[in-house]
Amino acid sequence: MNEEARGDAPESGSDKLILALPKGRILTESAPLLHAAGIDPEPSFHDENARALRFTTSRPDVDIIRVRSFDVATFVAFGAAQLGICGSDVLMEFDFNEIYAPVDLGIGRCRLSVAEPADLAASDDPSRWSHIRIATKYPELTRRHFAARGVQAECIKLNGAMELAPTLGLCHRIVDLVSSGRTLQENGLKEIERIAEVSSRFIVNRAALKTRPEVIGAWIERFRAAARGLIADAA
Amino acid sequence: MSANDTPHRGLLPAGLSDMLPPEAALEAHAMERVMGRLAAHGYQRVKPPLVEFEESLLGGPGAALAKDTFRLMDPVSQRMMGVRPDMTVQIARIAVTRLRDAPRPLRLSYAGNVIRVRGSQLRPERQFAQAGAELIGPDSADADAETILLAVEALRAVGVANLSVDLNLPTLVTAVCRSLALPAVTVARLRRALERKDEDAVRRSLGAASASADLFVGLLRTVGPAEPGLTALQALDLPEDARAEADRLEAVMLLVRTAAPDLRLTIDPVEYRGLEYQTGVSFTFYALDTRGELGRGGRYRAGYPEDEAAADLSVVPIASETGPADAGRGRTVPATGFTLYMDTVSGAARIQLPGQRLYVPPGTPWNALAGWQAQGFLTVRGLDAGAEPATEARRLGCTHTLVDGKPTAI
Repeated sequence: MNEEARGDAPESGSDKLILALPKGRILTESAPLLHAAGIDPEPSFHDENARALRFTTSRPDVDIIRVRSFDVATFVAFGAAQLGICGSDVLMEFDFNEIYAPVDLGIGRCRLSVAEPADLAASDDPSRWSHIRIATKYPELTRRHFAARGVQAECIKLNGAMELAPTLGLCHRIVDLVSSGRTLQENGLKEIERIAEVSSRFIVNRAALKTRPEVIGAWIERFRAAARGLIADAA
Repeated sequence: MSANDTPHRGLLPAGLSDMLPPEAALEAHAMERVMGRLAAHGYQRVKPPLVEFEESLLGGPGAALAKDTFRLMDPVSQRMMGVRPDMTVQIARIAVTRLRDAPRPLRLSYAGNVIRVRGSQLRPERQFAQAGAELIGPDSADADAETILLAVEALRAVGVANLSVDLNLPTLVTAVCRSLALPAVTVARLRRALERKDEDAVRRSLGAASASADLFVGLLRTVGPAEPGLTALQALDLPEDARAEADRLEAVMLLVRTAAPDLRLTIDPVEYRGLEYQTGVSFTFYALDTRGELGRGGRYRAGYPEDEAAADLSVVPIASETGPADAGRGRTVPATGFTLYMDTVSGAARIQLPGQRLYVPPGTPWNALAGWQAQGFLTVRGLDAGAEPATEARRLGCTHTLVDGKPTAI
């Protein structure tokens, strides 16, 4: 029935904007930003055990969906969500043409690094590599990074617990997010190279910005102001 | 043996599909209407082959599509051929070779299927239909505006609602970078940041040169509705080359606005991806609720610039300079045009197919069918004399049947 209503009224189907947010740490950190940008989710949103996937907000024109961080990029790239918040690591991995990342929100800060067992690091000479095997959540980004300096990276895609790979002999090296470096240390690993600094971005779908420039543009401005406000507070 | 050992006959290679009723008819209808609008504006149709020699297909502006092109060896000439991944290059080739002496401005239109080695995640189709027009000869804002207005008219003719035209200027950033003499590495990093519309990355890519960072961030801030965007663009402190580009964009925008006051126009002077071979004002068509682009186009040089360089270097006898043997080589001409992706367009179109199907019982004379067809019915002849007409009509998806010799709704 909804579909029919949508067909009759030209713009009704797209009046509502969907904001995709990643589960986990970034979600907690984005709460003050959302508030500053004028979006307060319904109470059940903060309930970790809530089974709902879609939530209303204080803004009748904005609904929130809560998905895995890699899926935020996919939803926004395909236009299923017009707005989103996701880490620059995810954007680098997918490299979707359809996503614009206009605002650095300054949250979820960490880095993407290469690590290997500390004893190997002591004798390793990366300039002699021609082929390496790497366990990572970011196979595309890793392959591109090493290809750029003439090294073929064979990637083993893992979805978590990367640190286990070297200790159990899956492979020697990993590419993973590092914030304090403590997890690496506890697993006898040493960070040998930083690939990129990571932080969360406010992202928008390209076609949405082109077809509804006023509305989407206004949200970009609101999040830009919110991010600047928070950065100023922190300073 | 498992069932997987024999592939299903219906399985098609990735990115290829059968178009069934009613989609095939919808696309054909959309195509007909688009081509009708182009013809009405004096664009003459041409039909290049599906396959041609690699050097012609992938030379000049075609080089950008080299990685998307299927190649095969011509057993006759023993040369490599490419299956067209796009038709614009073929039209440009025709314009500078066989139609080099045709009066300018030369207005050509085309429609046909193209095929690519791989689709993208967002656009997995490897084969799809294109329709488009090229305006070859004049290099003016008026010509730029003509192609945009023509495409808008064609898209509106097939009922695309909430159309949006994004005006691009891929040469602008190039001109600014040139005047600032930025190193190639910086330009590459800057381009990526601009494509992402990522202000912080723009600043980072330029490092200490903060004055130019303000200029590029200023360019980013012009992205949006056309009128305020152009005002912001004109307020920027642009180098001379870039200023000329911006003035041209404004002239085109004003011409389009005058002719189509209610059209949604946006500008994005930093968009570059997919526009690498454009040499001036370019544009992309979007519609609300339609994923991806309906089409795109813009200004380019028709012909083969690489031959131009070669021709300059070689010693050419004066007599043959304008002779027929060399004509078409080493000459490029200004051109602009657009391509519509007809699969996306027919998805966004609102086309009412003639839907009145009339079941005609067996034994009805052939000559009688024309009468009902003239009334707007599609006739479906019954071939099974034993079948009960109303049941048979319903089974064959007919909307009408004959009652006392008159078409009656079921």
